[in-house]
Amino acid sequence: MTVDEMRQQPWVGRRIPRQEDNRLVTGTGRFADDVTPQGALHCAILRSPHPHARIVRVDVARARSMPGVVAAVSGAEAREHWAPLPPNFALPGIVAPRVYGLAVDKVVYEGEPVAAVAATDRYLAEDALEAIEVEYEVLEPVMDVDEGAVDWYGDGSPASPASPRLYDEWDDNVQVRYDFAYGDVERSFGEADAVVEARVAVHRYAAVPLEPRAVVAEYDPDGRTLTVRVATQVPHQMRTTYARIFGLPETSVRVLTGDVGGGYGSKGQADGDVVPILLSILTGRPVKWAETREEWMLAGPVGSRGYVHHAELALRSDGTVLALRDRLLADVGCDGVVRAIGLAALIVGATYIPGPYRIDAYDVRVRGLVTNKPAYGAYRGYGKDIANQLIERLMDKAAAALGMDPLELRRRNLLTEFPHEICTGPIIESGSFVECLDLVQEKMDLPALRREQERARANGRFLGVGVVSTMEPSAGAIPMSVFSGFESATVRLHPDGTVTALTGLQPIGQGVQTSYAQVVADCVGVSPADVRVRWGDTDAVPYGLGAYASRGATFGVAAAHQAATEVGRKLLLAASVALEVTPDDLELGGGTVRAKGSPGTAMDVADVAQRTYFQPGPYAMLPGEKEPVLEASAVYTNPEVNWLPDEHGRLRIYPTHGSGAMGCLVEVDVETGGVDVRKVWYVHDSGRLINPGIVENQLIGSSVQAFGGTMFEQIVYDDAGTLLTRTLGDYQLPNAASVPDIEVSHIETPSPITPLGTKGLGEGGHIGIGAVLLSAVEDALRPFGAEVLETPLTPPRILQLIDRARESRARESRAQTAGAVRDDV
Amino acid sequence: MGGLVPLDTEVNGERHRREVEPRLLLVDFLREYLRLTGTHSGCDDGLCGACTVLVDGEPVKSCLMLAAQVDGARITTVEGLRAEDGPHPVQQAFVDAEAVQCGYCTPGFVVAATALLARDAAPTDDGVREGLVGNLCRCGCYQNIRKAVRSVGGSR
Repeated sequence: MTVDEMRQQPWVGRRIPRQEDNRLVTGTGRFADDVTPQGALHCAILRSPHPHARIVRVDVARARSMPGVVAAVSGAEAREHWAPLPPNFALPGIVAPRVYGLAVDKVVYEGEPVAAVAATDRYLAEDALEAIEVEYEVLEPVMDVDEGAVDWYGDGSPASPASPRLYDEWDDNVQVRYDFAYGDVERSFGEADAVVEARVAVHRYAAVPLEPRAVVAEYDPDGRTLTVRVATQVPHQMRTTYARIFGLPETSVRVLTGDVGGGYGSKGQADGDVVPILLSILTGRPVKWAETREEWMLAGPVGSRGYVHHAELALRSDGTVLALRDRLLADVGCDGVVRAIGLAALIVGATYIPGPYRIDAYDVRVRGLVTNKPAYGAYRGYGKDIANQLIERLMDKAAAALGMDPLELRRRNLLTEFPHEICTGPIIESGSFVECLDLVQEKMDLPALRREQERARANGRFLGVGVVSTMEPSAGAIPMSVFSGFESATVRLHPDGTVTALTGLQPIGQGVQTSYAQVVADCVGVSPADVRVRWGDTDAVPYGLGAYASRGATFGVAAAHQAATEVGRKLLLAASVALEVTPDDLELGGGTVRAKGSPGTAMDVADVAQRTYFQPGPYAMLPGEKEPVLEASAVYTNPEVNWLPDEHGRLRIYPTHGSGAMGCLVEVDVETGGVDVRKVWYVHDSGRLINPGIVENQLIGSSVQAFGGTMFEQIVYDDAGTLLTRTLGDYQLPNAASVPDIEVSHIETPSPITPLGTKGLGEGGHIGIGAVLLSAVEDALRPFGAEVLETPLTPPRILQLIDRARESRARESRAQTAGAVRDDV
Repeated sequence: MGGLVPLDTEVNGERHRREVEPRLLLVDFLREYLRLTGTHSGCDDGLCGACTVLVDGEPVKSCLMLAAQVDGARITTVEGLRAEDGPHPVQQAFVDAEAVQCGYCTPGFVVAATALLARDAAPTDDGVREGLVGNLCRCGCYQNIRKAVRSVGGSR
């Protein structure tokens, strides 16, 4: 290929280096905490030491007289100055507590903010917290949900009857009730040749972005304007939220982001981060708050997972799945709607439990119960992992019960024709589930692994292999919430031929700057280096919805593509005037507009732009155009999302669906219980790829995160409700020495419903790796007959599983012996 | 609080003479006083490595050191690695190996990797794994970070 031909190749699909990286590797990125305005005060927050208590009295007087302190405020005093935190969604079956940024009468988790100070220096602010006096009436904490005491059928028995209520105004401790049924489930179970049951449970683990929450608030009392620089995934919704909480018009509130040091779902709401804003309003000075790691562990959106399924799967003897029933119970901490946004993950989970399989009879009930733990946050996977963990464990179990190869059982039930509406409502628009499974099997060289496993067993070593299918719903759009379904963009071609692309989407590490530049560059015929993507200033970019639910490559990219396509159209029109060639006979690329088949007839994009703006000007160059400038704005929404439930009560909140399959090889040390994850293979199909390097990083990264969550990360409280995992020493994250190698392969089945054929991605690893690790460890322990249905897979659990399996075998063999003796008689 | 203590230190080739509180952490001195915000704070306990800087050439978690302790020492932060004519080879290697996602941990990794390569010019893969165990990347970029570090090692 010649250099000129290279220049003509589309940028979409190319693995080019990221534009973001030069500033990030040299330490010149701008994260929220990197900015300190002149005269800024520093905020420190006093937190409850009790998980459940009434606040009798708070006295901040002594703190006010401490050195450097400019303001100190209790929850009761603060209530006069702000509104309660607004709920982030209002779906039926969900209740929201009425809570403020600083607790007023009652605290419901250890670490809940009760008072705050602003001082001239962070150290002085923290000193002053010690001078605040708080009197509590300690209440009994609710630290667990009782699986045996849940009211599944609404027959009046209250959920967890022995538990004290967290919220006085609620009838019980249930924050979400969601029931869904489709098809004739009873009959299908009655007709089944085999029914397998499983209790599958996943513990509490959390997003833990390396950049904790950070806010720099600047209130100008003269102009009554508020500017907030904040580490968030959703700058526009933060503007709306702050305006509502502080009674300001949205025109007076500006939110700024810049670089965000990881989110993974955790930075999608306003909670304690509104406290420094209040202090700025009260003092009329800039106030900065950058939380400590301990504060994040105590009071961040730490809750996630913490669920248990009780499920049954009905099958015919040939492996055809007939029906599925599940009861999904979760411990959602103190709240998953206002202070954090994790609650809807349970409904998403329930929606996708049938997974990529043909299942036409399904009955699910979901209950999320509040406990005296921090809020239930969104975390990568957002319920799709809850779904996959169950269905894939059931498939393995069913294969064992039927004596079938587990991959063959999957192949018999996987979706192969598209579009396909699954029983819960979503339409799987395209996919390659069988192809992914075939390819992962080939990449793993499964027969060779089985031989290796056999050799190892002969030598007293226990290798295990697991393979699962994955489905990755993406581009979630939740009706009746601040996470609805549109994205916006403006694309502006300047007189010098460079391009500004404004997006409402928010980069949090997913390469938005580069991949959007690639998309825009193709539409206007320039290089991505000529495109500057801007985001995260609510005064500069159109209202957009930011980063959540893997929506960038669908909503964000489609809006940018739509706007850039319109600019490209006008650019060709202007060039056709200049070159006296009809637009249809022109092509764009490599920074030029050329007549097709006549390379001599060409102009630089910059020359066309210059002439359109000034020489002679837009009316001559874009005759008849209603908007004769090289600029366009677009809003993209996806018609596959439905905004009201259909006649079966079904919502289609994810328009695109990636396919995948994951395999892994583990070795279990049965003496120590240690699990060595030796390798992970991941075959992934999220449609057309914009930048394969960026995609692979997210696939591997999401796998690494859920590897940590499944194997060793855990949020732990003692019986009194005190958090034990307060540091990254107690809460272990994967590191360079502990992560397995992950080999990624791509299949590209374009989505028929997005302009570029792209699908969202970034959560796939998180969806599949939990189930594949459990499957592989179970395979390793097959000689013992241990079932692996619960996380984390820590050494004590592995040893316990082996012991229990040995005991159960011993009991069986005793019973057989006893039977044999009786037979003899 | 006590009185202030004198501090005379060289940061990225520039001499700074200040009086600081004895309890002031080095990371806060760099970020808040010198506005060298490339050094990040991620855990406050020396566990994540985002605040790694070089003190007389040795990698140090600047959240575990007092500013007063670097009196008379030479500090290099991620900003100081950059050469006049462009990024440091380790910085460039991180870009080329696609070893960055959100970038919050990256400065710490770059500094720690520079120190690792100063100790061992051509580390093995296991050497890189063990050598960077004090730095955490929550985006999970370890595979490419190892590749980046070894690409510099290999080129020597």
